[in-house]
Amino acid sequence: MSTNLSSIRHVRGFDIVKPLSVTVMIAVMLPLILLPLASIFIFGTSNGLASFWAALTAPEAIFALKLSMVTSFWATAFNVLFGLFAAYVLSRYSFWGRNAIIVTISLPTAIPTAVAGFALLLLWGPYGTLGRLLDPQGIHLMFTAWAIILANIFVTFPLAFGVIKPVFDTMSHSLEEASATMGASRWQTFWHVTLPSLRGAIVSGALLTFARAVGEFGSTILVSGNLASRTQTAPLYIFAKFNEGHVEAANAIAIVLALFSFVIFSILFFARDWLEAD
Amino acid sequence: MDIHITPLDFGKAAVTILGLSKSFGETRVLQNINFSVDEDEIVVLLGASGSGKTTILRIICGLELPDTGKIILHNRDVTNLPPRERGTGVIFQSYALFPKMSVEQNIAYGLKIRRTARKEIKETVNRLLELVHLEEHRKKYPSQLSGGQQQRVAIARALAYNPEVLLFDEPFGALDAQIRATLRREIRALLKEIKVPSIFITHDQEEALELGDRVAVLNSGRLEQIGTPFEVYNNPETEYVASFLGSANILDGRIEGGKFVSSDVSIDIDPEEKIRDGESAKLVFRPEDLFLRKPENLTQKYQKLVDGTIEEVSFIGAFERVIVKMNLPEHPTFVVTRPKTETAAFPLKAGQQVTAGVVRFRILRDPAAVANTKMNKGRNAAA
Repeated sequence: MSTNLSSIRHVRGFDIVKPLSVTVMIAVMLPLILLPLASIFIFGTSNGLASFWAALTAPEAIFALKLSMVTSFWATAFNVLFGLFAAYVLSRYSFWGRNAIIVTISLPTAIPTAVAGFALLLLWGPYGTLGRLLDPQGIHLMFTAWAIILANIFVTFPLAFGVIKPVFDTMSHSLEEASATMGASRWQTFWHVTLPSLRGAIVSGALLTFARAVGEFGSTILVSGNLASRTQTAPLYIFAKFNEGHVEAANAIAIVLALFSFVIFSILFFARDWLEAD
Repeated sequence: MDIHITPLDFGKAAVTILGLSKSFGETRVLQNINFSVDEDEIVVLLGASGSGKTTILRIICGLELPDTGKIILHNRDVTNLPPRERGTGVIFQSYALFPKMSVEQNIAYGLKIRRTARKEIKETVNRLLELVHLEEHRKKYPSQLSGGQQQRVAIARALAYNPEVLLFDEPFGALDAQIRATLRREIRALLKEIKVPSIFITHDQEEALELGDRVAVLNSGRLEQIGTPFEVYNNPETEYVASFLGSANILDGRIEGGKFVSSDVSIDIDPEEKIRDGESAKLVFRPEDLFLRKPENLTQKYQKLVDGTIEEVSFIGAFERVIVKMNLPEHPTFVVTRPKTETAAFPLKAGQQVTAGVVRFRILRDPAAVANTKMNKGRNAAA
């Protein structure tokens, strides 16, 4: 990745601009990005590792982390599979209103997450457009783990779709045509020819979706009800503990979430060559 | 418009194309195409881009549906079958090898799809790898192969499932000139060895003449002429064929008393040519069939065409190319190519006065007149 582009020489002899610009860049990033990240680790472990470990293994904390992982997993599974299907349909078939759908499908990235959560409440809540009909049947979606999954699906849908669709668009048609002339059915062609070319896009789409879903706060806090050990995800736990004044408890989970994101983005960054390899 | 269908002997032909027409929206891409390909025969569809040659290929393998007409593969009407039920082997322009599969897996694909026994797949793959000389590359991926090697994988991959016909879509387009010439000889030898009927499409006339047992020349969706390379080159039936296959000099005129006449030019024509007096016609001759001499030196070997002035003499490798301005109304220029023996015996330079003699030529009748005769024939037959 770090290919060194030789820059143009602008002056004779030593160029002061290079070390100067690197210093300025780091100086600006330090208080804005690097120090906040570092503080999580400095404060989280300031009372010793034992108390950090105790905060981390508190039942409520474990539950919140688990709930985040499980809901994010299902949201990711759905968004990758359905995103793949939607990308296939939207790049292989042309029909009336196709472009309108492509634009709408990408919209959730631009909508504030609180608005997304609110919208879900208005649809599925006890007095919502559809929720009103389900409520008498005893089906309650909002303020359950289902609500968290729905919110995650809504907010992260464009991510996997957005990574997979361009690959479909730019994929050479002649591969699929070759497969068909060689005797393959539509499904065989998809499985043996199309899907292997999408491997990189699927993996990076899934990682992005999962990372985003695990950290989702704005929509979850509205639809989950934020009930400790019932519908409280890890980001909500951090918020709740901080509000209660348990900074250390909040901090322990914050460290876990920060490390988790760090790992996922390292994979994305360093595995890019593998993911994009043909 | 009524479709004229030529009766063909399906029994002998591996591929029969009957009255094929196709339009994309308002554009007519193909108009009543008829031809057939025999077992072990190589037919080359030659045409400029937009002539419809690719569309014919795509219709044969089922990637495109014709508006009218039929495709018969070994006595089986496949016109309405999807590509996978036709059993054609297509070698795409960019080869379309599956990038995530090794050479072996690419070749085995068609058999795997047909649920062939593993042992048989292995045997076939080994046999084909040997045939195309890629044994030591079997584990490689397409991106690790040269263009020529990729092409051989594409052919082996199509041969694996005993295709009804091999279809080559401009297979040498992506390669440089020297490799093209070598590969084309290799592939022709290979196809003659395995005896699979093949259709090539190309816009390169040299390629067409060298590869094909027969060459079909297409022009804006019409089949102008089909014949052996010798026939289409030496006896072009239309002006388009004459000028598309090699370069041709063309002179407008008419037939008078068994001669082709155009102002001062008067050329004796073969009495076999059944052209009536007064009919307009074109005299067509190749640059290599025109000879330039000093006016007094023209021998009996050549029919005198006309005098002219040398405009340009240029060296183009094996030949010398001379451009002559003729002493005719509108002063047309003719192109002459002269081999080394000629240039040594009769050196020429620009500005020199010469007489042009022609040894071999062809008379093309006015298409309108030809159509008229055909219609009259039809009427007589009906009566």
